Parts: sequence; C-alpha cells; structure tokens
Amino acid sequence: MDKSNTIIDIGNISKVYEMGGEPVYAIRDISLEIKKNEYLAIMGPSGSGKSTLMNILGCLDTPTTGRYFFKGNDINDMTDNDLAEIRNREIGFVFQTFNLLPRSSALKNVELPLIYSGMKKSERDEIARNTLIDVGLADRISHKPNELSGGQRQRVAVARALVTSPSIILADEPTGNLDSKTGVEIMHLFYELWKKGNTIILVTHEEEIALHANRIIRLRDGLVERDEINHHQRIE
Amino acid sequence: MIIAEFNESIKLAYDSIKSNKLRSFLAALGVVIGISFVILMGWVLQGLDKTMEDSINLMGQDMIYLDKWDWAGGHTNKKVDQRKDISYSQAKELSKRMTQSVMAFPQAWKWNNQIKYKNEKFSGLIVQGTTYENGLIPEGTVTDGRFFTQMDDQFGSKVVVLGSKAKETIFPNEDAIGKTIDVNGHKLLVIGVVKKQGTMMMDFVDTKVYIPLSAFLQIYNDQRRRSFTVVMKAGDQTNLDNVREEAKGLMREIRNLKPGEDEDFSLNETKNFQAFVDNLRIYVWGVGIGMTILSFIVGIIGIMNIMFVSVAERTKEIGIRKAIGAKNRSILMQFIVESAFLCFVGAMMAYIICSIFIFALATILPKFVPQTSFLSPVMPYEFLIIASVVSIFVGILAGFIPALRAAKLDPVDALRYE
Ligand SMILES: Nc1ncnc2c1ncn2[C@@H]1O[C@H](COP(=O)(O)OP(=O)(O)OP(=O)(O)O)[C@@H](O)[C@H]1O
Ligand SMILES: [Mg+2]
Repeated sequence: MDKSNTIIDIGNISKVYEMGGEPVYAIRDISLEIKKNEYLAIMGPSGSGKSTLMNILGCLDTPTTGRYFFKGNDINDMTDNDLAEIRNREIGFVFQTFNLLPRSSALKNVELPLIYSGMKKSERDEIARNTLIDVGLADRISHKPNELSGGQRQRVAVARALVTSPSIILADEPTGNLDSKTGVEIMHLFYELWKKGNTIILVTHEEEIALHANRIIRLRDGLVERDEINHHQRIE
Repeated sequence: MIIAEFNESIKLAYDSIKSNKLRSFLAALGVVIGISFVILMGWVLQGLDKTMEDSINLMGQDMIYLDKWDWAGGHTNKKVDQRKDISYSQAKELSKRMTQSVMAFPQAWKWNNQIKYKNEKFSGLIVQGTTYENGLIPEGTVTDGRFFTQMDDQFGSKVVVLGSKAKETIFPNEDAIGKTIDVNGHKLLVIGVVKKQGTMMMDFVDTKVYIPLSAFLQIYNDQRRRSFTVVMKAGDQTNLDNVREEAKGLMREIRNLKPGEDEDFSLNETKNFQAFVDNLRIYVWGVGIGMTILSFIVGIIGIMNIMFVSVAERTKEIGIRKAIGAKNRSILMQFIVESAFLCFVGAMMAYIICSIFIFALATILPKFVPQTSFLSPVMPYEFLIIASVVSIFVGILAGFIPALRAAKLDPVDALRYE
C-alpha cells in the first residue's frame, strides 16, 4: 500500500482514565488512516470520545496504548518539545470557544504560532496579514477579540490555524458557538480551504455539518461504529 | 528565534503589569524596599569611605600617636581603662629620646572646656596643649595669622590658635586675630586660625583651640589626673615600623614594664582609624543586611505569590499557547521574564525614590547636623547597575517555581480550564 500520502496512521489507540479505581475508556482500540486532502468528520453523541480522539490526533494528548505515526514518525518516541514543534508546524487547531488571547489584536493572535516557530518580525507580520485577508478579515486586522463578532473571532482562529501552512487542520465543533447563518459561513470557509488542498478533520455532532466532509467516522462509547465515504457531500 | 520569544515575553510582562498596576505595585513593594536598603546602605558606606580617606589624608599616613587610649576601641576596653596615665615627664622623656622619628612632641587635652569672650561663654570646645611642632603637621596648617613658635613654647606665652569651628563659634562675624579670650581664668591672645579640616569623624579637630603646652600646664596645674599623648611623625610610611619599634621599646623602659608584660599604652596610627571605620562599616552592614534580607524575603514571597496568581489566572492562555506550539521552556521563560521585569520595575522605582530622598537629605540635613556633610547628594550610577542586577536575580528566583508550574501544565487540562 502506498503510504506517501498518509498524514496520520494510528493503530489500536486507547485512552484510559482511572475513575475511583475503575478504568474508564474514553476511546478504545481505534485504528485510522488519514490521507492528504481528506475532509473527515468525526461524529458521535456527547461523551463518545470525539474530543479525546482529536486531542490525540493533534498531539496535545498522548494515547495510553496503541501506535501513532505522524507522516511516518512515531509519536510515542517523541519528547514534549518534539510534540510542541509538531503542533506548531504541522497542525492547526480551531476550537469551539475560539480560544483567542483576549488582550491581543487579531494580527497578534495570528502571528503567535510564527513567533514560536522563530520567524522574523517583518516576515511573520506579512504572512499573518495575508492570512487574515484570506479569511476575509482585511478590515479587522488590529481589532481585539472583544471588538469582533463570533463569526469573525472564529475566522481569526482559522487564520491562526492556517498561518504556519500546517499539514492538517483540526476543528472541534467550530460552529458550536455560532448561530446557524454564521456557522454556514464558517463551513464555507472550511470548504474553500479543503478545495485548496488542505486536509481537515472536523468534530461535530450535527449531521448537517458533518455532511460537508467527504468521509464520516461515527464514534459510540469510544469505539468506531462506522467509517464511511460521504456520497452526499454538501458543496457550497 | 529565542529573541523573538523573549521580546514577546517582555511585551507580555509589560502588558500584564499595566493591566494590574496596583496589584503589581503591592507585589513589588518588598523588592522596592529591599533595593532601597541596598542603595541607601551603599550610599552611606561610600560616604564613610570618603570620610575615612579625607581623615587619613588630614592626619597624614606617617603619624603615630602614643596614647593611653586605643583608638580602635572595642576589644580591650576594660584593660585600657585600668591603665595608668602617661605623665608629662614620661611623654617628655620619650619625645626627647626618639631618634627614628622626624619629630616627636607631647600633647594634652582638656575636653569640653569653658571659654569666655567678653561676657559670652562657649562650651564644647577642646583645649589642646601642644608644641610648636604641631604647626608643622597637616593638622596645624593655619589660614590666618601664625602658629606659635618654639619661643612661645619655652616661655609659656599666653597665646592661642583657634580651630576653624572654634573661631566661628567665638567670633562669628569678626576677625579673631589680636583678640583676647579667657580660658579657665587666663587671658590668651589669639594669634592664628587653623584651616578647616573637619569631616564627619574628625569634626572635633575644628573645635580645638591650640595653646603652648607650657601655658597649658600653668592654666590647668590643679588637675592631677591627666594622660599625655606623644605625637610622632615618621616622615615616610616605610619608616613607620622603625618608629613604632623604637617608641615601644623606649616607652616600656620608661614605664618600667617587665619583659613579657603587656604594654599599658597604645600606638595609634591611621591603620587604627581604619579599624574604627571598619567597625562602623560592620555595624552599618549588620543593620542594613539584616533589614535587606528580611525585605527581600518578604519581596520574594510577594512576587512568588502574585506569579502563582498570574499563572492560575492564565491557565487557559497557557493551554492555548501550548496548542499552537509553545514549548515548555517558552512558557517557563515567559513567566520568569514577567517576574524579573516586575522586580526590575520595582528596582527602578526604588532608585528614583532613593535618588530624590538622597538629594533632599544631603541638601537639607547638613544644615542642621553639620557632621553629615560627608553625604553626597548624587546617587552613583553604579547603584543603578547593582539595583538592576539584584532585582532581576530576585525576580528570577521568585518567579522560577510558579513558571515551572506553568510550563508543566498539561495542555488538555489547561485548555479545558475555565
Ligand atoms: N480528564 C478526564 N478524566 C476522566 N475522564 C475523562 C477525561 N477526559 C475525558 N473523559 C471521559 O472520556 C469520555 C470522552 O470524552 P470526550 O470529551 O472525548 O467526549 P466528546 O465526544 O468530545 O463529548 P462532547 O460532545 O460532549 O464534547 C467521556 O466519558 C469523559 O467523561
Ligand atoms: Mg468534545
């Protein structure tokens, strides 16, 4: 099998928490392969392990057991430092609650990953600006988060996820805090990013939203219930 | 690339202080006080050093004062108290027999004596009975008139040379030369005024009035208890050892000390004076260091506490930063820089406050307490460097544990924190 296009390759991943002496499986025995330019939706009811899986895929968290290769590199061998570097260069997170730094402007927020990657000021300023323009915020560059609408905040967050040109974008319920009209706008943005060749993993419990992806994984009680191609992908 | 993160940390630290002005100030108060102690202590010690240098220059580094008293004081006080006085004949004999010194002459003092001019009485002046040779050493340099001569000595002339402070006290607005003052019922003619030389510790030299020793003995002939001093000038510092040894040997002989018996006199030199200043120095340090350490401990606790609060408040922010690629050491640096910056700002405040305080004190205080005129109104710039370095060090120390806690936060837990 050709693995050159594989970004994420996990096998028999479990995450176990100890609760009052009893082991609780947040996710159990999950195996997945995610290739370049896939648009994957992870679905499932509350508590089914979506966020846990996503945190592991995003190298924010490590599995209790199982193997994880990111672009052919074994994550289990990596130090905290290596993982931070992977998160910085290879992964872009978008969260339900935006998670912007409240006291920093949109530009500063978007620049931040570039600061941690050690880019020069002039360079990162330009890239951050362009990325903000790309997500449609040309006229909001120096606004602080509390001067922006929810949809605009999420656009800033998307710009921040995109600014290092990561291999993969992970979005955990990105429309969860938005009204449906704004949610649609954000989904449109993701669709365009996917069209441009980005790889996207989207966590949601809404069927409507999941239908934007071309592959849908359904979790139940930490297990993969179904993993299928979406033949009814919604084209915006 | 670390520089970018460092700059970012400085900006963050600045923002953080700006948005929590009062809280930051209170947290840094201990450091402000600690740094102030360091600065003020250094300032006083520097003043002391300056005074001491002046005093040594004033006395001359080649002088030895053989005296019943030990100038450095302290250790042998009790024994010194029990020493027999050095009599006039002993002092005179030693002065005559000295061969190694350039000059050697006896001296005696009458402390806190009353002096009258017209109908006014002046107390707090010292009458020094001395010889014409006193006019040849730095302490006896006159600005006005002349010092007395060998003739005056021989005939016990009723003349007097005033120290500058003594002159100002008795003759604030008039010329002193040619006037007659009354010392213990004897009329003395003022023939000279000595150059002002007082610094803090040597201030008393300016309150002296010098009279020929022969006259002194007549004026105070009723006083039975008096110890004389022999002033010796070695001429050169390298000759000090010879003079000291000779004086010691001769005086032992004159005082009939048995071999092996302790000396019942002291040979005082500028070195001893240094010992006195060193004692003072230790005292200043002792008090200063104690208070400094105490305020730094309070300061460190204050800063550490505020940094723990800051870390807790920004748990979510730490999670976000980690999610987008901040390494543990980036987070560690961010909080250490913030802590160091906070302390540094505190130190700068201390520096400014102390500068103002020192300027005010050194300008105003000597008007009321002349002994403090050695204080300098200008804060040496080295203190700025010392204050900066010390404060940054304290900041790093105080910030380290909270910063480590921040750096070790689990990103998932931190992100979930509300
Ligand atoms: N730190 C933890 N300690 C103990 N149990 C945990 C921890 N984190 C997650 N879990 C458990 O793991 C399971 C999966 O949680 P997860 O957050 O992944 O669910 P989710 O699918 O994202 O749910 P939601 O749709 O509500 O966000 C839950 O049962 C949860 O209680
Ligand atoms: Mg979730």
